[in-house]
Amino acid sequence: MSRAELLADDPIWLILLKVLCIFLFALLTAMITVWAERRLIGRMQNRPGPNRVGPFGLLQPIADAIKMPFKEEIVPRTADKVTYRLAPVLALSPTMIGLAVMPFGPEVSIFGERTVLQLVDLPVGVLVVLAAASIGVYGVVLAGWSSGTPYPLLGGLRSAAQVISYEIAMGLAIVAVILQTHSLSLGDIVDSQQGLWFGIALFPAFFIYLVAMVGETNRAPFDLPEAESELVAGFHTEYSSMKFVIFYIAEYINMIVVSAMGTTLFLGGYMAPWPISLIGDNYFNSGWWPMLWFIGKIGLALFFFIWLRGTLPRYRYDQFMKLGWKFLVPISLVFIVALTVINVFDQLSTTGILISAGFFILLLIALVMMIPDRREPRAGRVPLSGGGYPVPPIDLQIPSKPRRTKQARSRAGRRQTVAAGAKEGDDGVS
Amino acid sequence: MSNSAMLLAQAGAEVAKVSTGEAISFWILAPLALGGALGMIFARNAVHSAMFLVLTMLSLGVMYMVQQAPFLGFVQIIVYTGAIMMLFLFVLMLVGRDSSDSVVEVLRGQRVWAAILGIGLAGLLVTGVAEALTSVRPVGLAEQNAGGANVANIGRSVFTDYLFPFELTSALLITAALGAMVLGYTDKSKRRTQRETADARFRGEHDRPSPLPGPGVYATANSVAVPALLPDGSIAPESVSAIIEATASRELATDIETVAGAIPGPDAHALKPAAAKEGDK
Amino acid sequence: MHGYFGAYGLVALLLVVGAVFVTVALTANRLLRPARPTPQKLLTYECGVDPVGGGWAQSYVRYYVFTFLYVVFAVDAVFLFPWATVFAAPGFGVATLVEMFVFLGFLAVGILYAWRKGVLSWA
Repeated sequence: MSRAELLADDPIWLILLKVLCIFLFALLTAMITVWAERRLIGRMQNRPGPNRVGPFGLLQPIADAIKMPFKEEIVPRTADKVTYRLAPVLALSPTMIGLAVMPFGPEVSIFGERTVLQLVDLPVGVLVVLAAASIGVYGVVLAGWSSGTPYPLLGGLRSAAQVISYEIAMGLAIVAVILQTHSLSLGDIVDSQQGLWFGIALFPAFFIYLVAMVGETNRAPFDLPEAESELVAGFHTEYSSMKFVIFYIAEYINMIVVSAMGTTLFLGGYMAPWPISLIGDNYFNSGWWPMLWFIGKIGLALFFFIWLRGTLPRYRYDQFMKLGWKFLVPISLVFIVALTVINVFDQLSTTGILISAGFFILLLIALVMMIPDRREPRAGRVPLSGGGYPVPPIDLQIPSKPRRTKQARSRAGRRQTVAAGAKEGDDGVS
Repeated sequence: MSNSAMLLAQAGAEVAKVSTGEAISFWILAPLALGGALGMIFARNAVHSAMFLVLTMLSLGVMYMVQQAPFLGFVQIIVYTGAIMMLFLFVLMLVGRDSSDSVVEVLRGQRVWAAILGIGLAGLLVTGVAEALTSVRPVGLAEQNAGGANVANIGRSVFTDYLFPFELTSALLITAALGAMVLGYTDKSKRRTQRETADARFRGEHDRPSPLPGPGVYATANSVAVPALLPDGSIAPESVSAIIEATASRELATDIETVAGAIPGPDAHALKPAAAKEGDK
Repeated sequence: MHGYFGAYGLVALLLVVGAVFVTVALTANRLLRPARPTPQKLLTYECGVDPVGGGWAQSYVRYYVFTFLYVVFAVDAVFLFPWATVFAAPGFGVATLVEMFVFLGFLAVGILYAWRKGVLSWA
């Protein structure tokens, strides 16, 4: 039976079970990610991270979840009350929709009922995820606007412009995948990666997706809507208590959704990774095993998010928009065109080849035109000659350092030891 | 739609009957869409207006899905919510937060003209819809959804039968959007450099060579609306931002009094609210 | 839960689950949290400076320009999806390719014009 037929046969109890599982999966993964992020970032920054509540601070998210509802909520006097209350609802509610169309695994048997580990496989599955993302932005924008104060407003505006910019790049990266699968259903997309994963076959699209997914979820290094050095806490500056928690959860569930989407589109979905897939006649690609691979790959993507946050400094907004519109979007357009030409190359007649070659030349001309024509000499640059300033010659020879004698070295070492005080400085006087 | 569906059901046997699910979702979605549309017109606040429009667009998107056009439905959600986001930003950009609709009529006889044109438009719409309800029969839904491949079949139609309108629309769209973008863009390349501005200041092209003084910082108030004091104790009027001076004084009066401490408020360090404290004493 | 309605109904069901979760969480919060507002607490946070008036900020026109670009490209991407599903079908190859290239050509010319005009630079 096909995927759709299996899903259509699901009895009500199985559907409700799946919905419950998706809901719990989203919430639990979000909690674990919060903990893992704090621990990992701590490790990357040479500090322990949360370590008080439970072993390795594992119960920290639960402690936070218990604490936050008991906190006083402060709604600013200038806030637009209705919109202020509506914003968190809009931010969190649509996030889980994306997980409904995500295939978690192939055909399995649950209490004797044959089914697929997926809630529903829609023929427009990819669009569901994009649509959910475009509704979710409203939560952020409205939160920013309704607080009635400049910092959140700026955060909301930034978020709106950012999410829609990177949604384009993301959509174009997805189009490259659709070109290979000819179907928008996520189940079909996984099935067509039996051979080579699209992450390798369509590497440029995968790369664009990776960048776009970070931009889309407002995460570092693209966390400009909540840049604490510029905007306090961005759009949720004025949110406290449970409403703040809801924004927090929404951010993490969004991360999970884009990670799951990236896994499905580019990393073979629930398929076992290469060397494992060879073991025992594809044993690890059957039954419940694939769910493990799928969740493992999501974990890997989430680790990537955290790793980025621990490594990269925040972008400036103009650099960020430039990256989106002047790099990612043109590259993905060119990639799509190249991909289609490669795909239909064997179908092409001579005229067809000529037409597409002509188009390519036009495209090249267009790209050349995109190169900015004049670059004004930077005022601050040191002139090579003239200008009245004393300028060292280009071929300046720097005199080589005089070799320090052993005596001088040990003297320096002793000075260092003295300066270090109680610190053990035995390496200086060796 | 329910009415139209009934008429259509009478019109021919080839038209699919309205299922219960479709009827239920219609009666949920239609009031939402209509309410959103009315709310958009009557909302005083421009941002609320935009939000009501989002509600209408979302309901319409879901309605498309209900009528077996899933691709169109999701496209409606993706593109139109994005477009409303634009409207939204436009509103924020133009009016700021506190402005509600002005009720002053600037055009002479605008009500009369609005009424005439509105009635005209309503007549046009009613005849169009009536025509659609009585004599137009829907065809081709089955072909478009054949084999569960709604998207592929739309692709087929667009690139065969409707190619010319498609290309024409794309050209029109890009032209219009570019026009708006270029209009909204102000060329900053001719802006003076910092050096040139500084020179101009000292040449006397500006009112004063130095920047304006900042507002006052006092123990009782630390607000941009409180002016600084000059060495002789007099008030420095230029230390208050022009934006604040331009804001209607009635909107600011209470703020200024509050932050200046003229209105007695509770002690900033008090742990309990004012009412409770009085009760304690 | 069968057929077309069931499938899309499930997506709506998950949306409802999300909304119910938020509602329950906020209701529980309303019952549990203390409420002791003081005028100082209710002021918005502006890094220690007392706020004056409402959020009176008007925003920049440049955000608007980028949203416009989004609309253009969103429509573009939307047409690319059905095209991507059919272009390799028999009888569609070259003709569809050229048609789409014309479409992308319009788009590229537009973006190039904007780029040359300097609209895309965030200044």
